[in-house]
Amino acid sequence: MADKQDFLRMVRTSLGVSERRDIARDDATSYFLSRDEVSDAANDIRVDAAQRRSELTEEFVTRATAAGWNIHRVDTIEDAAEEVAAVVRDHGAKAVMRSDHEILNSLPLESALKADGVELSVAVRDPSDDSEEDLERRLALREQSFDTEVGITGVDFAVAETGTVAMEPRAGSSRLVSLTPEVHIGVMTPDSIIPSLDELFALTRDQHLSGEHKGMVNLITGPSRTADIEANLVIGVHGPREVHLVIVG
Amino acid sequence: MKVRTDEFKARSAETTRNPRRQASLKMVYDGLHKGRIAAAEDTHGWDDERDRARAIKWHTINNLDYYLDLLDKNVRANGGNVFFANDDAEAREYVLGVAKANNVKTVIKSKSMVSEEIGLNEAFEKAGINPVETDLGEYIIQLAKEAPYHLIAPAIHKTREEISDLIQEVAGGPHQEDPKDLTDTARALLRDAFRKAEMGVSGVNFAVAETGSIAIVTNEGNGRMVTSAPRVHVAIVGMEKVIPSMQDLSTMLRVLIRSATGQRISSYVTVVNGPRKAPEEDGPDEFHLVIVNNGRENLLKDEQLREAMLCLRCGACLNACPVYRKAGGHAYGWVYPGPIGAIVSPVMTGKKAGRDLPFASTLCGACKDACPVKIELPSLLLRLRSDLSEGKTDPKEASSPLAERLSIKVWRFGVQSPAMFSLAGKLSSLLMAPMSRQGWVRWLPPPLNGWTKSREFPRIASKPFRARFKKKEQR
Repeated sequence: MADKQDFLRMVRTSLGVSERRDIARDDATSYFLSRDEVSDAANDIRVDAAQRRSELTEEFVTRATAAGWNIHRVDTIEDAAEEVAAVVRDHGAKAVMRSDHEILNSLPLESALKADGVELSVAVRDPSDDSEEDLERRLALREQSFDTEVGITGVDFAVAETGTVAMEPRAGSSRLVSLTPEVHIGVMTPDSIIPSLDELFALTRDQHLSGEHKGMVNLITGPSRTADIEANLVIGVHGPREVHLVIVG
Repeated sequence: MKVRTDEFKARSAETTRNPRRQASLKMVYDGLHKGRIAAAEDTHGWDDERDRARAIKWHTINNLDYYLDLLDKNVRANGGNVFFANDDAEAREYVLGVAKANNVKTVIKSKSMVSEEIGLNEAFEKAGINPVETDLGEYIIQLAKEAPYHLIAPAIHKTREEISDLIQEVAGGPHQEDPKDLTDTARALLRDAFRKAEMGVSGVNFAVAETGSIAIVTNEGNGRMVTSAPRVHVAIVGMEKVIPSMQDLSTMLRVLIRSATGQRISSYVTVVNGPRKAPEEDGPDEFHLVIVNNGRENLLKDEQLREAMLCLRCGACLNACPVYRKAGGHAYGWVYPGPIGAIVSPVMTGKKAGRDLPFASTLCGACKDACPVKIELPSLLLRLRSDLSEGKTDPKEASSPLAERLSIKVWRFGVQSPAMFSLAGKLSSLLMAPMSRQGWVRWLPPPLNGWTKSREFPRIASKPFRARFKKKEQR
């Protein structure tokens, strides 16, 4: 078994440096920005994005459409819920699951779906359930997400440069809700749109350094795809074949 | 993986004679290579972005001990485990240990070239654990019991007929020709493994030291499955894949993905920051990062060859290379094919066995032009050629026979004075005369017949250019 210190010693010997040392600042990487610089930059990004909202929204919609997202723009939360219900209806889906994202909690989804006889399950435990968190329950949740036809999630960041949405996990099941169903619907507001991947990672870095630790960040751009058979593009491999974004406001 | 770098000549010859493989290799050029060029042209400041990526990587590699230490600390701070593996056996033993401790029966794997290096699937099978490759291309070659043919398109050499045979042998269905149908069948077959696997094994595209994160780039969604569905996630990474900060990811992803597939971004980029955090109920309880040396120190030790540690494994140099596109991926005899493989495979696994690889290049420089971090691939290939020919690193590795070395000495003597050069030219022209037809030499007698085995060259002119030029000047 290799010991960490032995391993690092091997690396130092190979590099021809003998001891642990302070490394020289190199502005090729953003690593040397001070904590204050990182958080100031994050604030500037938020202010700038708010000022350029309509322009960024247009760019995002163009890029996202090119990447394979179906875009639905609506003005109210009621209309958003209706758009979601219409997609569910189109697929005749009965097994529908949503994550515990704040934006979804504010949408009248249950009532919109009820008209079609769809039972919407929220991938989070009932707040009144105070039993120990256990593996069995989690495995059941996993099974359920694999049997889901349409998965609905919120969006935490949207990147205009690439038409990407970024999602951070929520309580309960959120990772699989946007992955295992054949259809994924993301619901977002324009204030989550930022210009590029540079801003995305500046914000997530700031978040992490301020102690707000997320288990992961998922960047999603359009449907699942492959070109592994004779370089032919096929949409829909292990992830969703069809993806929608409902932009509210 | 078994090292077969000494079979380059035989295996490349086999591929050049196989029309089906040649047709597949053309797709590498038409699809991936042209896609990369279009993406580069479409990107504002593309060249500057490559320079930035190169600078980030050089800084990290030159301070690799610092960033590996930082990565280790931060993965642990996030609640993950880190294991440093000096060689393939240590890496295998650790991963198997994790599997056994968790009573794992099925492992789902997303693409990891390092896991190919260390022969992880064979080790799982020996231990009675079922490893399932879930990237469609990797799944196909796992069924075929073959090695990857390309860094990002591992089954590009398989025709749809071959793929149908492989998949239907498991599925038991009718022959399928439509890639869409074949993909659907594979999706259905792999669903079961995704549902029940207790452990996921992934590769890593970038490991971020400052936040203890790993980034995985995929298009199919299998990378997300592997990192989200099972209770245990093990990520395996070559020690060169670390970068300092999460903010460096934007540049690195831009150059990597455009160079690999020509996309602006892949369908998925998954940034994992350790195990799930309550009250999350999906995502792994355990996260392990295995950092692997396995011969990379041989690259690091040498100030020139160290540049190969900048490699992002995008495959762009393979697509650009006229030799790869004839010889095919298996000819290179180990995990990494193409120009970058011709450098790293001999250095990591033994120069003597891999001595033909650095010579499998025209030195045209297309690889360097394609490289997202502008690695000086031709210079590195030349450097290895020189080491090998002259047995510089190890006299036993000297690849050129005594006769060749002697004739080079004679050549050097002959070109050192105009008089000698002129005389040698005349002599060669005379000697060649009986062996040439219509100005071309197609056959030379032993021991020079190696030269004419697969090529011909024009006969040396009886009247050299210098003489003709002089005559013209006088007129």
